[in-house]
Amino acid sequence: MNTQPEKIAIRIDHDKCTECRMCYVVCREINLNAVVIDPGPKHLHEIDMDRCTYPGCTVCLMYCPAPASIVETVSGLSLVPPPARVWTEDKRWPRRAPRTGN
Amino acid sequence: MELHPILQEFLDTWVYPTGFSGPGYDFRMHITERCIPAWNGMTMSAVKAAQEDAKTPTREWLWSSVLAGYAGEGPQMSIKQMSTQLLSVSLEDQERYIDLQRMRAQQVWDEVKHGMLHADVMLRGGYVKREEELMDSADANTLGILSYFGCTAMFPHIHPLARAAQHYFFEGSACLGIQVRMRYMNDPLDLHDNLSQYVDELMHFMEGKYQMDVYALTEKDQRAIEDTLDFLLKPWAPTLADALARAKQGAAA
Ligand code: SF4
Ligand code: SF4
Repeated sequence: MNTQPEKIAIRIDHDKCTECRMCYVVCREINLNAVVIDPGPKHLHEIDMDRCTYPGCTVCLMYCPAPASIVETVSGLSLVPPPARVWTEDKRWPRRAPRTGN
Repeated sequence: MELHPILQEFLDTWVYPTGFSGPGYDFRMHITERCIPAWNGMTMSAVKAAQEDAKTPTREWLWSSVLAGYAGEGPQMSIKQMSTQLLSVSLEDQERYIDLQRMRAQQVWDEVKHGMLHADVMLRGGYVKREEELMDSADANTLGILSYFGCTAMFPHIHPLARAAQHYFFEGSACLGIQVRMRYMNDPLDLHDNLSQYVDELMHFMEGKYQMDVYALTEKDQRAIEDTLDFLLKPWAPTLADALARAKQGAAA
């Protein structure tokens, strides 16, 4: 059985992003290196979907500080702050109150 | 302990969602337990202060808070404090801590930007006519918080990760304080002072979160962070409220 979640593209909304590059740092830390710097004059960083494993991985979302700066490309859904569904199921930390929606 | 809803929301949104697991994460949860009572207390007192300020017909409180902010951030702090931290990672550790260095360099810019923002509020509020006037004011150039300058200028020389505690605890407090101001006050200049800073403070908080999750894996690394927190949470350590009161007295003198 294929348990891989269906691949959904994400992108950075540069109107909301603070350019702190935390996403770049954390994605490199997990060795996926999917946040890449555009060599163009603005050196904006973008997500390379050939490398990104979202929604299998959501690490950049857990550390990005700027609400609405990482969005699903098609749905436009904002993923920062992380939607409850990406963490409420995790039982490592029992203090987490179950939340609905985001 | 009943948590203030602003703190609960902060915890649920920014503290608990975590991209890593393992000893760093477990350690950060332990640190979180230590921070929560202090965060809760400071959220409550920020609410009280905001409610009082909101009732005051004059904007005297705004002058005190931007002046303390100006003294505590901007070129002054960035150059002294952040640059000492950039230098605190020894050459052989540079590769291991390159992300810390990168984030620290980013913070120099954030803090300079904050200083500019505070000056802008002072100018718009009519407290000064030119930013240069602030050069004559000791209050605009010193901040009497021992933990701030003591810890931030000294601890990084002991261990590159010591700053993670400062980022987690202090910048977490800053996020909570700013949230309170933005929700309990309705003053456009105060909002202008706080709005963009919120995201920067959150970034600095995330820096501490990330550093603990990823780097605080051994007893030795964790000890450096715990020691810093011991210092920050000492009951004798002056608080930001003390510093603001001091700035107020200075302004009244
Ligand atoms: S972490 Fe978020 S705010 Fe920072 S650069 Fe990435 S998308 Fe932008
Ligand atoms: S979801 Fe994971 S792989 Fe994709 S950009 Fe974010 S951190 Fe990198």
